[in-house]
Amino acid sequence: MAQLDIVHVSKAFGDAEVLRDINLQISSGEFVVFVGPSGCGKSTLLRIISGLEELSRGEIRLDGQLINGIDPAKRGVAMVFQSYALYPHMTAFDNMGFSLKLARSPKRTIAQKVANAAGILRLEKLLERRPGALSGGQKQRVAIGRAIVREPKVFLFDEPLSNLDAELRVQMRAELTQLHGRLKTTMIYVTHDQVEAMTLADKMVVMNGGVVQQCGRPLEIYDDPDNMFVAGFIGSPRMNFLKAAVIDVAPDNVTVEGPGVGRLTLAFRDFPAGTGQVAIGIRPQRIGLLGAREGAIANRLELSPTLTFAEELGDVTYLHGDLPGGERLVLRTLDGHYSGGRQLTAVADAASILLFDETGRRIRPTI
Amino acid sequence: MSGVGVIANVEPSLTPSRDSARWPTVSAWTILKWAIALCAVVVAIFPIWWMVNVVFAHPGEPVSINPRLYPTSLTAGLEKIRMILAETDYLRAYYTSLAYSLLTIAGVLLIGSMAAFEFALFEFPGKRVMFAVVMVSLMVPTAVTIVPTYLLTAKLGWLNTMQGLVVPGLASAFGLFMLIQFMKSLPREMLEAARLDGATHFQLYLYFALPLSRNALVTLAILTFMRTWGNFTWPLIVAPNPEIYTVGQVVGLFNSPFSHQTVDVVMTANLLAALPPLIFFLIFQRKIVEGIAMSGSKG
Repeated sequence: MAQLDIVHVSKAFGDAEVLRDINLQISSGEFVVFVGPSGCGKSTLLRIISGLEELSRGEIRLDGQLINGIDPAKRGVAMVFQSYALYPHMTAFDNMGFSLKLARSPKRTIAQKVANAAGILRLEKLLERRPGALSGGQKQRVAIGRAIVREPKVFLFDEPLSNLDAELRVQMRAELTQLHGRLKTTMIYVTHDQVEAMTLADKMVVMNGGVVQQCGRPLEIYDDPDNMFVAGFIGSPRMNFLKAAVIDVAPDNVTVEGPGVGRLTLAFRDFPAGTGQVAIGIRPQRIGLLGAREGAIANRLELSPTLTFAEELGDVTYLHGDLPGGERLVLRTLDGHYSGGRQLTAVADAASILLFDETGRRIRPTI
Repeated sequence: MSGVGVIANVEPSLTPSRDSARWPTVSAWTILKWAIALCAVVVAIFPIWWMVNVVFAHPGEPVSINPRLYPTSLTAGLEKIRMILAETDYLRAYYTSLAYSLLTIAGVLLIGSMAAFEFALFEFPGKRVMFAVVMVSLMVPTAVTIVPTYLLTAKLGWLNTMQGLVVPGLASAFGLFMLIQFMKSLPREMLEAARLDGATHFQLYLYFALPLSRNALVTLAILTFMRTWGNFTWPLIVAPNPEIYTVGQVVGLFNSPFSHQTVDVVMTANLLAALPPLIFFLIFQRKIVEGIAMSGSKG
């Protein structure tokens, strides 16, 4: 169990700055997920924590102790790689016990610790196999077992499920959650899959362009994003963003008008003066067809998209359409298929609308 | 409609020809290709076959009025082999060549693998320049370097010594290039995992680079053996003392105009010299071909 403090960490490769002034505090026993698109710096940050990469500026402290210059093997961290990184010429047993062998642990100790880890991960019958004779999921468990044997203070996972098929990924996510519950060790997990992030994390760190965009509990980030990037990245399908100009501002409301939304007055306390353009954000899950939601919403926004594409998924259907003015809109119906016409009438609860300013920052009403 | 009428209506092309099914046509071009291939095989194999034929026959029998193209006397051949091994210094030359080959192989693999490990997987100052210099050395013919190398060896006092034979051949640019190409394909994440497990730099080399490069190392060992066993020029220059003659030099003595040995004895000496690489090649031919291909194509 260990607290990790990342203080003003920056990293540059030549002139390219890949991490900019990262500040994070990870509490002992927390399961933290770094999520973001490819190239956002999440893996680089993980490698800096592990010691495989040197930082350009800043400090990393584990339980208050500075670990900047400490050898990776001596930091008290263990890492599970995306490609498993198992040693192909050694058995699963030797893979898991290798760090202890290098530390000259007695054979009995190695056997005991490997057996413990194998028991947790249900690998008892696979210990004499080489990685070539294991399936993807089994290899991943051996890689996790190799990390467990080291009894680290912090587990680091670098997109460990990316190479697995969808069904196995779901199964492994459940196993990781159980493992965390059992070991109660601090875990840092890197992924580009926001579904994985939402399901695994105690705390989510959304990154983009080497900068932390937002940090918090998954549902907090989902319901209350700080900016357009976070709002669009978290949640699938992506949040709809519709442009509008601010027409009138009153103490308790704001009136906006846009080609897709028409004229709309929204309840909003203390809307900041001087804001000319806004982006209206609505999640597809908050927009339905008029027939299904008629009468259910007091203050509603009506939109008239022309259907371009229907994603029929069996239990729900996502309808993609074009609004007047050319903006795209995605809405959801709870029917497994769509058999209506091309001209749609969509309805959304105005209370679910989020507003963002011209820089993409979220505009929040004062409470 | 009658059955006879139905058969009569069938298209002629759909009726299989009995003759063509039994006798496939053979074109003149196929015969010519096979004839050329057989000629090439005969040209390649005949010298070795003739050597075996002369050795395992009574003296003069293969070229007598009634010549034989096949071995006629196993005992005569074995007697000649026994005579050469027991009554000349051939056996000592065998040991010298074996030691020369094995020590060269060990040195080439050790030095080459260590250097390739650094070049392939790590960055260090001057790496590009050093690699370029080593690769340029591949283009310098042996004839240019053999005299300076001899003078250096002589100055070190290594004439007529095993180290004089072995040491100049330990830095193999070709071997280094081949191993670098192979080690570049080792997964970096695996090395990082080993670093996190606590492996030192040397342990990365010992526990990962070496075992995972086994195929390339075996191939290099085979190619090095083929090179050293048949090496005649360098041992001739640096080891003129008969005590340290290699097989190549001893066979040269048998072949010389002043050897006073009959043809069958000379052939026996040559056969004994050719035997190890022949057996080696027959066992490892696939690896040898892979090695030649790997050195040229892996990028």
